[in-house]
Amino acid sequence: MAPEIVLKDATTKLTEYEATGGYGALAKARAMTPAEVTEELITSELRGRGGAFFPAGRKWSFVPSKEQLPKPHYLVVNADESEPGSFKDNEILSRVPHRFIEGCLITAHAIDCDKVFVYIRGEYSGPYEILVGALEELKDRPEIRGNVTIVVHRGAGAYICGEETALLESLEGKRGQPRSKPPFPAISGLYASPTVVNNVETITTVPPVIAMGGAEYAKLGVPNTRGTRVVSISGNVVNGGNYEIEAGTSLREIIYDLGGGIAGGRELKAVVPGGSSTVILTKDEIDVGYDFDSLGQLRTAMGSAGIVVLDDRCCIVQLGIRFSEFYEHESCGKCTPCREGTRWLTAILRKLDDGRATQGDLDLLLDVCDRINGKCLCPLGDSDAIIVASYVAKFRDEFQAHIDQGGCPLDGHSSLDHVLAPVQMHAHSPAAHGPEVRA
Amino acid sequence: MSAPELVTVTIDERAVQVPKGTGMVETAAAAGIEIPVFCYEPRLGPPVGACRMCLVEVEGMPKLQAGCTLSAQDGMIVKTARTSSQAAEGQNSTLEFILVNHPLDCPVCDKGGECPLQDLTFRYGPGSTRMTFPKRTFEKPIPISPLIALDRERCILCYRCTRFSERVAEDGQLVAINRGAQSVIATFEDEPYVGHFSGNVTELCPVGALTSTQYRFEARPWEIQNVPTVCGLCPVGCNTTATTREGKVKRILSRNHPEVDEGWLCDKGRFAYAHLDASDRITAPLRKAGPRRFEELSWDDALDQAEQLLRAGGASTVTALSGGESVEEAYALGKLLREGLGANAAVLPEDVPDWGDAFRAPLSALRDARTIAVLCDEPVVERAPIVELWLKAAQRSGATIVYGAPGGSVDALVTDDATTTVEATNVYYLPRTPNGRGVADAWSAAGDGEPLDAEPRLLLISGDEAATDPSVRALARHADAVIGIGMFQESFRGLADLVLPSTSYLERDGTTINLEGRLQRQRRTVLAPVPDLLAWISKLAERFDVSVSPHVSVVFDEISARCFGGITFGEVGERASLPPRAERAGTPPPAKEHVAGAGLRLVAYRPLFSGAAVDRTPELQFQRPAGEVQLAREDANARRIRNGQTVTVSSNGTSVELRARIVRDLAAGTVRVAQHDAGELHAHVEVEA
Repeated sequence: MAPEIVLKDATTKLTEYEATGGYGALAKARAMTPAEVTEELITSELRGRGGAFFPAGRKWSFVPSKEQLPKPHYLVVNADESEPGSFKDNEILSRVPHRFIEGCLITAHAIDCDKVFVYIRGEYSGPYEILVGALEELKDRPEIRGNVTIVVHRGAGAYICGEETALLESLEGKRGQPRSKPPFPAISGLYASPTVVNNVETITTVPPVIAMGGAEYAKLGVPNTRGTRVVSISGNVVNGGNYEIEAGTSLREIIYDLGGGIAGGRELKAVVPGGSSTVILTKDEIDVGYDFDSLGQLRTAMGSAGIVVLDDRCCIVQLGIRFSEFYEHESCGKCTPCREGTRWLTAILRKLDDGRATQGDLDLLLDVCDRINGKCLCPLGDSDAIIVASYVAKFRDEFQAHIDQGGCPLDGHSSLDHVLAPVQMHAHSPAAHGPEVRA
Repeated sequence: MSAPELVTVTIDERAVQVPKGTGMVETAAAAGIEIPVFCYEPRLGPPVGACRMCLVEVEGMPKLQAGCTLSAQDGMIVKTARTSSQAAEGQNSTLEFILVNHPLDCPVCDKGGECPLQDLTFRYGPGSTRMTFPKRTFEKPIPISPLIALDRERCILCYRCTRFSERVAEDGQLVAINRGAQSVIATFEDEPYVGHFSGNVTELCPVGALTSTQYRFEARPWEIQNVPTVCGLCPVGCNTTATTREGKVKRILSRNHPEVDEGWLCDKGRFAYAHLDASDRITAPLRKAGPRRFEELSWDDALDQAEQLLRAGGASTVTALSGGESVEEAYALGKLLREGLGANAAVLPEDVPDWGDAFRAPLSALRDARTIAVLCDEPVVERAPIVELWLKAAQRSGATIVYGAPGGSVDALVTDDATTTVEATNVYYLPRTPNGRGVADAWSAAGDGEPLDAEPRLLLISGDEAATDPSVRALARHADAVIGIGMFQESFRGLADLVLPSTSYLERDGTTINLEGRLQRQRRTVLAPVPDLLAWISKLAERFDVSVSPHVSVVFDEISARCFGGITFGEVGERASLPPRAERAGTPPPAKEHVAGAGLRLVAYRPLFSGAAVDRTPELQFQRPAGEVQLAREDANARRIRNGQTVTVSSNGTSVELRARIVRDLAAGTVRVAQHDAGELHAHVEVEA
């Protein structure tokens, strides 16, 4: 079992958190210059946990000084966790809210900012309440808060608002659609000012990095993927849930030792390794380290660490429909290939599922994937194209069988039970107009 | 300013030098290469990269890039669809995706034949469809206002219209709602799109999704003619194109003059052409046949009667001008009356000072101003609508705009850049009439005698605007006889003894001078149902031994020698340039001093959507301001008045109920009411909730 770094000493209480050394890293960081804090992060090799895996310290270092660009700096925390299969940020905010807040305050110090915006998924009512409660506790602790204001903003229910520039648009009160980059947020982000956008887990990892020192943190994990990761295991496993693992742990170990293996004694069929947007792995591909390089060799990624386990009842075409419907539903409508292509992909997949598809439809499916991929404004449309193409590439026989047999070869025995909810069943944000809370 | 750094970019193996940061679409154009676009429109603000039509291959970048969001960097190597199969495939993909749900109704679509989507599909798109599923359908067409119909199925979601509404007109009324493939354009809360500039979205739309209700199903692009001209409805003089079919004007489009209008038009200029076919249009000379009745008479009889009346009026004839006449018309009329009769008295539509000529600048210079003082009491948008768009552009780029001058008002804008030198000061005078300046110049060039100081025996009223002006009508009561020259019977009924028909600005050749002092050329876009004004003035002038040419170019040459430095008619050009600044002379005109009084000072303004042409365009009626009083925020707050609330505006015993509208372009202490709502209100009023 790996050392817990992010989730250790779980508590929502300020006193308990302080009793285990909480907010000590903040004091340590404030005794350092912002540049030294950033340097510590660079040394730790901590990389972004939202999915793009960009080195956190380097991202901070891109923020121009106020002498270079006389504008306010902002820290925006992306807590709009909406990737099907990922629910780690939910757990982090619920269990260690003060560590998260401490991370915000250290990061604010490092990038010389006094305004932090936490953009939290609207449906996350539980974590929202806990976070707000934790911020309340800091009301009479000015020595902890410093001059920093933390604003918690609840999303109104859009996956695209997890894309950093769409998030910024939404935060500014506009329609949640991605901006074209460059300029990158570090130069022109929120209100056209230098902005660092980090994921909840990244921010929550900052206090332990400062506390133990970047070099010490970098001893954990494997090259190119240091430290720990909180992974979400779901689907047809015995013990679904969030687990903090040391980077590089094998996927088989995660599924069988932590997840307790396949539920109901069934056979493993495939694994989605890092949330819906990542290329699928077959049952023969799980002896792989859960890290950037190892998964990269299989042309997939850790993404947002949502591991979805699929047993032998899973019809891969239906899985494609479930995911593609999601992307179609969540496409923001800004760029053409995503808006039109995701809808088209779903239609072709449904035709395959219905048993009406011809050989030409399979070629068309791949061609449409090809035509979406690499041409969209943001990664949403690309993701749909990449994963659907990966399903065909790895399970071509099964697709072929749908054509040859005029329907699903599992013949009524297919099931996606426990494998993510279909888009029609998704909850709606209760907080489209929720109040904002300041600390 | 230092010269911009030049960089070299290679596009399709052609090297081209452009200033660093130039957009890739422009960079390619500089190399003579087209990058096709739908959503890209630099006038709408920063590029958005939405449609993905402009995909290009850039050396060193693994994925195709949207050309519209790229800017030129030194050494960049770019390949378009001409030389890159990857880029060609990308553009083909974009078109295939756009067409997946686009209806194949080109044969009945107004855009068909002049449609960017059709054109680009022919050049870059697939020849057949692979889409075998039912297309997405929406209810259609949806009238988003009496002027504009929206077909959501044809919409390709380029967001040009919403960006125009948000970033140019800044009215925020047109928005996108829903998400993904269900995204549609809508008006905010399904209210009609009311705004001075709404029609521009029909022209920005690259498909047939937003169409003009006036033009719908009226013509096909292969049976129309487009005639370049200049709008004659306000002092801006936007450059336009009139689309005509079978001798009728079918629509007005903008014709971008980057210094004047940047390709935008107000709804009056775009839609009011319907007045050409008004039911009370005068198509033959008319003679009074009763208190409210006219009868037609032949042109020979009409000229005989006109001669008779003119001889009787002699030097005691007074001419009232509208300010909508062309320079040549005003000159020809002036020459006939001043040379032929010695009738030098004229009621000019307005006094346009020439003091501002020393501070002359193109309207586009407003965008670069740091501070702008709007000294005019009336709303700029009602007087010279496009100037309002320039003001908004200036404000977006950081200019400070102050409204109102203490103590008095001048119908002008004064701008300044950071250097605040006299050279950096621009003055824009805002006349009330489209060509008041040109008419005054032409009248004064037509003769040099002094007017007689006596009661007028004959009043000659030129134009419908003068005929409906209360002060002109008051003058008519003192005259023995009245000759009218105009387009509409209603304007002259009960007023004139003889009416000679005139033509619209869309039916004549001639020149006008806009508020910048720019001489511009109007062209005859269709044949008028009546003879040209110059033709019959020439005939009538012969009877008084005055030589007036029936040819506009000859008349122009005669004036040009005196007023325009001798340039010829042909030299005025399709996109006229602004004459250089004049020598500074004289002192600025005194401000119209505010009359002292208690309460709020009332400004009764003339709304843009009023007047003879608007009255005769049914589709524009919804744009008339509906009984509102404009207040500054301070005054509203002091009286606890909320925006939209019904309030009582009163003075000395009279009062009117109006809806309060809180506006920013008004100095505290002043309120504005449209003339037709002001009624009997005095110069100072009180407003109560």
